[in-house]
Amino acid sequence: MNRYVFYPFIMVSFINLLLFVPYILIQARFSGAVTSMIVGSVIGTIFVYMYTGALARFPGKGLPEILKLHCPQWLVSITMICSAIMWWFGTTIIVVTYALLINRFFNPDANPTLILIMLILACGYAATRSTLSVMYVIEIGIIVNAPIIIFILFKAVRSTQLNWDSIHVVANYVTEMPTLTAVAAASYIFTGYINLSLFNRLLPPNFRFKFRWVYPLFGILILLVSFFVPIGFHGTVAVNEYIYIWSITADSLIMQYGFIERVLFLFLIVFLNLTLIYTMSGWHQAMESIKSSFRNYKPEIDSPRTPISNYVIVGIFIVLTFLYLQFANEKNGIIITTYWLVVRMFVEGIIVVAVFILSRWRSKST
Amino acid sequence: MNAYIRIALASLIIGMLGGCGFKDIDKRFFVVAIGIDASENEKKPYRITLQLAIPSPSIEPGASKTQIETIDAPSIAEGVRMLKAYVDKELDFGHCKIYIVGEKVVKTNYQDTLQWMMRRRDIQNIANIAIGRPDAASILKVIPISERYPGNTLFLSFGADGTESSYTYVETLSDLSRRATEQGLDPLMPIIMKNKESSFIINQTALLDKKRIKLVLSPTEAQIYNQLANDFTKSSMHGMFEGSDLVVAITNIRSKFRIGKQNGKDTITMDVKMKVVFEEAPRGIFTDQWTSVQQNLNQEYAKSCVALLRKIQKAGVDPIGFGLRYRATHPKPDSWKEWESIYPEIEFVVRPNIIIEGTGLIK
Repeated sequence: MNRYVFYPFIMVSFINLLLFVPYILIQARFSGAVTSMIVGSVIGTIFVYMYTGALARFPGKGLPEILKLHCPQWLVSITMICSAIMWWFGTTIIVVTYALLINRFFNPDANPTLILIMLILACGYAATRSTLSVMYVIEIGIIVNAPIIIFILFKAVRSTQLNWDSIHVVANYVTEMPTLTAVAAASYIFTGYINLSLFNRLLPPNFRFKFRWVYPLFGILILLVSFFVPIGFHGTVAVNEYIYIWSITADSLIMQYGFIERVLFLFLIVFLNLTLIYTMSGWHQAMESIKSSFRNYKPEIDSPRTPISNYVIVGIFIVLTFLYLQFANEKNGIIITTYWLVVRMFVEGIIVVAVFILSRWRSKST
Repeated sequence: MNAYIRIALASLIIGMLGGCGFKDIDKRFFVVAIGIDASENEKKPYRITLQLAIPSPSIEPGASKTQIETIDAPSIAEGVRMLKAYVDKELDFGHCKIYIVGEKVVKTNYQDTLQWMMRRRDIQNIANIAIGRPDAASILKVIPISERYPGNTLFLSFGADGTESSYTYVETLSDLSRRATEQGLDPLMPIIMKNKESSFIINQTALLDKKRIKLVLSPTEAQIYNQLANDFTKSSMHGMFEGSDLVVAITNIRSKFRIGKQNGKDTITMDVKMKVVFEEAPRGIFTDQWTSVQQNLNQEYAKSCVALLRKIQKAGVDPIGFGLRYRATHPKPDSWKEWESIYPEIEFVVRPNIIIEGTGLIK
């Protein structure tokens, strides 16, 4: 069952390539990105250990149930609605970014609105399913796509075009002070553990978190690759000129005898899958959070009938996402993402610390 | 879900499929190569040449047919737009893998051209870029007699599928754009020349700074450059031993360099390790002492390498990336300024270590 903890973690750490995380870090490459990555990794690792350690004492309970044990209802409702907004927004940014990305790379004649509607209808339908089905879809998605992503990353690292001197130049800026946005961006890669807020419901009573050391190791590896490989490919100066930095990096790779020569298309297709899965899981969690904010809600992990409320809530999400696209473009998308990443770090910090304290407090009182 | 909703959703999705700007393949012109030249006209300084593939049912040598369209325009983007009015099908750059820049453009300033290429989303970063001599248009007008598909000759010349010549430096767009901005790593491009009317010669390399050509390497120099900078193995080396000619083929080559001080002077030390097999040698060399032959080869190789490196240094460019290495190994805020003052006076030491593996099939 430990794999059900690991899949969301892998998913989130891969999706960072689309969420402007490399972009934000690369902008700060001469002003503290490297230090921020170290700080971000430390923060991420501590959070992973604290949160899993705390949740181990609440087997089979999600975040809302834990909070309901100890807190007044109004506090639970506010927390849940806040986290729902956060989850909805974090995934919406990605799906909207991807709709724009399709417009840029696949077909400039295509209407981003239409593409977005198709994407969000698919995600929305998947998000209304039960928690268990959502988990299975994540599992299938990761198993199918992760090998290809790892292949692309590996190919990039092994490429002769990679200039280690450029990487070395940037790595030398390790003495600069970290910046808040860069730390927030770097710690995002480790944020997959927060999915346990919901998916902890799926874990059996006698569950134990194993191989926890894998999470920081994997996260740091992905972080290093996603930051340093574009620098090795585009040099220390030109790397700052691109908006979709990883799409351009994938485009610089060549598969001589591949099915298609341009790695870019493979990259985009794989990340399309990942975006859909990520959006589905994010919306599902946001939906469950909203439902849990009501007093007499009983969580079900695999209900035979889909409640109407699911459709209503996801319908609202779809409409809001659609409205967000009307207002978003690449420029404000990056600014909004940056703010979101910072807010996310603090909200997550509060949730993790709160749950951790609750778990210790409970063990003392019993 | 009830059936009506399902049907409605399905029809909605199917209805959207028509929304993409889809054009059939026979309504498209595939551009296989683009040439960008400087024209005489001051108001329209760019001359854009597109090589369009004409699909042909027969696949045999010489069956390739292309159409050439040329236009003078005030900017590249406008030129390409305007050319759409000259043809009946939609232009598609998805298969364009060769960009040829006229020598005149590169002699003045290539940055605008490069920026246009980087900004266009449908221009591949893995495309090859080269300089056309005397201009790009005349290179694109060459009709190679052995060509099977439109544009294939140039694709094969640069890719690893066809010929792999040690004289040809292969440059991709993404590498060029990195070199065009990086401090301490300068761009270089191969030069394509016309050989009569039906083939190309690509054996010279132009070294550029951030704006224009600084130096053109002769074929021999271009080969040594490829060996030093790219560890290009399928190449040969020429030497003398006791008055007779020696030619060896390189089977394995590894070169690395480091920057340091030797006898109080800043020095770049290059270690080149290679394994070679004789291709041309006097008879009976099998029984001779190989160590003295190796020493002779080492000395001669070192001499030609140092001469090449000095020449590059005198031109004020740095395609191998010595400056970048200096920045990496000397992390100081003003290390780039320091390097700029060091580089013109730096000494080169090349230490080849040639190991003879065999004399070929005969003694």
